[in-house]
Amino acid sequence: MELALKDIRRHLGRFLATMAGVAMLLAIVLVMNGIYRGNIEDGVWLIENTATDLWVVEGGRGGPFNEPSRLPQDSYRSVAATPGVGQASPLVVYTAQRALREGDPRSQQFTVVGYDVHTGLGRPGRLVQGRTIEAPHWEIVADRKLGLRIGELTTLGNDRYRVVGLTQGAVDASGNPLVYLSLPDAQKVQFEQDPHAIVGSRAANLQRLERIGVRGAQAAALLPLLADSGGTINAVLVRLHPSSDGGRVAQHVRDWLHYDVYTTAQERTLMLEGRLSRMSSVLGLFRALLVLVSIVIIGLVVYVLTIEKIRSIATLKLIGAPNHLIVRLILTQSLLLTLGAFAVAYALREGIAPGFPRTLAFTQLETGVTFVVMLVGGVLASLLAIWHALRTPAQLALGG
Amino acid sequence: MAMVEISNVSQTFGSGETAVQALKPTSLAVEAGELAALLGPSGSGKSTLLLAISMIQPPATGRIVIGGERLYDDGHTGVDVRAFRRRKIGFVFQQHNLIPFLTARENVALMLQLNGVGRRAAARRAGELLEYLEIAHRADALPARLSGGEQQRVAIGRALANDPVLVLADEPTSALDTERGMKSMALLRRIARERGSAVITVTHDHRMIDGFDTVYHLDDGRLARVERAPRVALPRIPG
Repeated sequence: MELALKDIRRHLGRFLATMAGVAMLLAIVLVMNGIYRGNIEDGVWLIENTATDLWVVEGGRGGPFNEPSRLPQDSYRSVAATPGVGQASPLVVYTAQRALREGDPRSQQFTVVGYDVHTGLGRPGRLVQGRTIEAPHWEIVADRKLGLRIGELTTLGNDRYRVVGLTQGAVDASGNPLVYLSLPDAQKVQFEQDPHAIVGSRAANLQRLERIGVRGAQAAALLPLLADSGGTINAVLVRLHPSSDGGRVAQHVRDWLHYDVYTTAQERTLMLEGRLSRMSSVLGLFRALLVLVSIVIIGLVVYVLTIEKIRSIATLKLIGAPNHLIVRLILTQSLLLTLGAFAVAYALREGIAPGFPRTLAFTQLETGVTFVVMLVGGVLASLLAIWHALRTPAQLALGG
Repeated sequence: MAMVEISNVSQTFGSGETAVQALKPTSLAVEAGELAALLGPSGSGKSTLLLAISMIQPPATGRIVIGGERLYDDGHTGVDVRAFRRRKIGFVFQQHNLIPFLTARENVALMLQLNGVGRRAAARRAGELLEYLEIAHRADALPARLSGGEQQRVAIGRALANDPVLVLADEPTSALDTERGMKSMALLRRIARERGSAVITVTHDHRMIDGFDTVYHLDDGRLARVERAPRVALPRIPG
């Protein structure tokens, strides 16, 4: 006679409610796994999806993602002239908060990637609809998260751009969707000033010139030179000649141009050990705590399920039931609870993931490890309950 | 030969200066078909003797022979006691102790299945037993849906399922009113007579004394006296 199933059948509602509670907790653990892994995947997505061999950034900087890096507009020409470099192309990356959809005043945060559309270095990855930017101006590729459609016009600054391509899952390290523009458009959007700010800036520059005795037509002639040209980039992307040594090229750039150079692997490491490390630690800690809490709760549930039956267990022992019957009773319920709760949690996770506001990345290994840890936790709790049950004296069944 | 032979069985709890002899050397014999009572106030040693006879708490000294099998002989256990209990002893508890998530039929069938009877055969045999105990109409009810008297009949059915040579009953009437207590005693007596089992009952319920064949009076851990009553006709069980 399968006592465990009989018990569950008699208390089905309570068992299912308990399983649902444990399942929700496990679902949080699984989602937290996804947040943890998603945070890392988002963090390195742009690095891994930019087809380049080297990242050239401002000297002494961990840019362009972990720290601001500013290079002169034409610095890519010097890099291109370095022996071993096949192609060098400028890149700008910055975060913006704008209302993108016409007729919708709500602003959205996104990261703009400006690249040289002629070389194509830095062009969008994960393009799922449309094409990359082909014209030097007024075209935009955006991630689907922003809600734009192919052919739609969107306003950035004083100009309107046509959406020519859509990406999916193209995000920056904070999980913000990416917007790709041609380099000049991206710089224009970045540095374009409000007319009032331009007037104010001109007045300030004029005052500075007057303070040193430059006035009138001479001052007016000098003003454009003092205005912020916006002619800076954040990095130079480098494709090497097939036969060249990346290390030597990087050293040459460091020695002669005084820029810093990172390979994609080094950029990835910078991101993981820099910007992502604290968040990863926090998420990892939460994940560990959640796993621990889940195991404790599963353990307590299994233990309470056993303690509730302790008089019945004593009766079974007294009437001569073998130990394996009692062990099977406890272990079966524990396993059914753990396996059932995990299955429900898995289904919940699959239901939650598509609408989750951040990237959830799941790996079979992590899901498997979580499952095994929960199962082991459930079995350990069962062993504790079994130990308690087997130590229960049969005479507990006697008396009132 | 007696169905149950207890010779110089004693029980001591603790050791050294704190040792307490809960049961002084006690001997008794119960025949097949005999209904015996262990009677005495709380702390007199009757439950200790019951635990010793069933080997739930083996005695410190003495010898126990049940149905010709030597269970215990001065510290030595002759058989697998839990298996012996399963095969040869039936228990009736004060609070009935039915497994709450099994129906009346399943509670009885469980005992049979523990003894290797197949599921269907066990269910059929359980049904017959419940019929014998006049509770077959409640076979599919859970214990919580049964009255105290019905629960006890199911518990007796479970105790009889393995066709035991000995039925041990712990205060079987204390949770029942007088009428149902009397019926319960009549049932135990009928079982003893019809099935040839020895029935030993722990009780301090003086209302029921007349129903027993033998009453062992225990006091302060020793057998004070044995009273062999004339076999009084018990009230008929109402149909």
